[in-house]
Amino acid sequence: MRRREIRLLTLPVAEIPNVRLNLSNRAENVLLVRQALSGLSEAIKLDAVELNDVSTAVSEACNNVVMHAYNGEEGPLEVEVYALGNELEVIVRDRGRGMRTPAQHGDDVGGIGLPVIRALSRSMEISEVTGGGTEVRMRFAITKTTAPEPAAGSDGHRAASSYPLAMPDATASLIVGPPRLARAVLPRVLTALAARAYFSTDRISDTQLLADALVAHSENSLDGDRLSVQVTATPRDLHLRLGPLQQGRAAAVLEDAAQDGLGTLLERLSNRHEISAHGSAEVLDLHLAERG
Amino acid sequence: MQGAATATRTSRTIPGVAEDPRRLFVRWQQQGDESAREELVNRFMPLARSLARRYGRSSEPFEDLLQVASLGLLKAMDRYDVERGHPFQSFAVPTILGEMRRYFRDSGWAVHVPRGAQERALKVRDAQERIANERGHAPTANQLAEYLEFDTEEVIDALQAIQAYETVSLDAPRPGADDDAGASYGDSIGGEDERYELVELDATVAAVLGHIPPRERTILKMRFVEDLTQTEIAERVGISQMQVSRLLRRSLEQLRALTHAPGEAR
Repeated sequence: MRRREIRLLTLPVAEIPNVRLNLSNRAENVLLVRQALSGLSEAIKLDAVELNDVSTAVSEACNNVVMHAYNGEEGPLEVEVYALGNELEVIVRDRGRGMRTPAQHGDDVGGIGLPVIRALSRSMEISEVTGGGTEVRMRFAITKTTAPEPAAGSDGHRAASSYPLAMPDATASLIVGPPRLARAVLPRVLTALAARAYFSTDRISDTQLLADALVAHSENSLDGDRLSVQVTATPRDLHLRLGPLQQGRAAAVLEDAAQDGLGTLLERLSNRHEISAHGSAEVLDLHLAERG
Repeated sequence: MQGAATATRTSRTIPGVAEDPRRLFVRWQQQGDESAREELVNRFMPLARSLARRYGRSSEPFEDLLQVASLGLLKAMDRYDVERGHPFQSFAVPTILGEMRRYFRDSGWAVHVPRGAQERALKVRDAQERIANERGHAPTANQLAEYLEFDTEEVIDALQAIQAYETVSLDAPRPGADDDAGASYGDSIGGEDERYELVELDATVAAVLGHIPPRERTILKMRFVEDLTQTEIAERVGISQMQVSRLLRRSLEQLRALTHAPGEAR
């Protein structure tokens, strides 16, 4: 039986997402997606029931990528979130072996992944990604939200994976726009990554403080109007890369984050940092390690 | 496989072979066979359980959700029309989810802090302090999860929720880490301030830091001037590391608000 929502065409992405997460399809990464959604929902004042619906449905779509997209191999899991006034659109994409039919989307509990998505969303479509892969596009009705202005423009937007400043082996790449949305999103995602890096609650809290500081003090230095952070999490170590920043502005982020009488917070909270230039842009690398 | 022919052939169950749910529905709804109903409940309870686990994750106590999901399952069974030919599952999933959504709406869950989440945040806070005292260093999220038999995501959510609950950290009695029984966090913070006034304030600093209460100012300096860890600060001031974390976060936010006066770019 053919289902109506299947479209075998690739829809162009018209806008820039408010949140984009590039991950691998490891099971533990679904948690990062949920944390990002929780943060975004806080920023746009999504009601808790709506967040729960979105989070449940999106988790199902991500779990499908974890379980079925790459035949047991590792591959990209991409999530984009668009806050569109009275709707929230979420796209979950893989670059796997091509279009999967609903039957192949099934999971361990007799294929309830898609029925759950269908029941919780206003609409859902599955389409094939050019070059191989599957994209699940979900729309959710939302009420009384403080919708952000859309992440403006197509100002030289490049996919993070092809961006020259891309960190090899990044655990997660997070791009948020407008940058103020990152206030709630970045600390949550970094908390989860700090937990994964076996940080103590002590250092997890430092990571949250560092995330707050990065968001608060980088806005005027961003290259473009989106905040982009890449993170590599390894045991007892987090490596963050903030950027692209405007030329000469990485030092300004550090200075701006200095509080009179307290010194530069970012320096105190991290173990070391580096500034490097890449063409006409800069990045700020920050390393945090568990103490002792 | 699930055609009408199989549904009408026989009503006898073949041992060891799971009976087609449609035939069970025919036996129950059309022939009043209660054992078929029981069989259906057993068959689809895992579906209700699985949906309860997925939906409302980390928010309500699981047992409450399971009860609501089970109720949804029974409703779906009552309303399912076997003659329409859709598999029961595709009918049951939205019905059960609908029941859980209504429960959340009716219970005011959308506007209050979910009970389960709040209880977990308190447990995480207490466990953090207990483990830190026993082992002499702050635990990891995984250690907390293991200790409390939570999953790591619940701990991560709690670590963030704690920041938001003013009342949780200040008014709740402290866990038995201390000798003075019944003392609350609020009690133990005062009085110690002046001892930790290690750095003299100059005029410019006073302008901004002066707006921060002495207790928070002391903690800020311990963390950022003396470079103590939050655990070390917690020991010296006599509060929990979680409390230090919350106070640091809040006072840094206040400092930023003071520094970036209105009119200035944010």
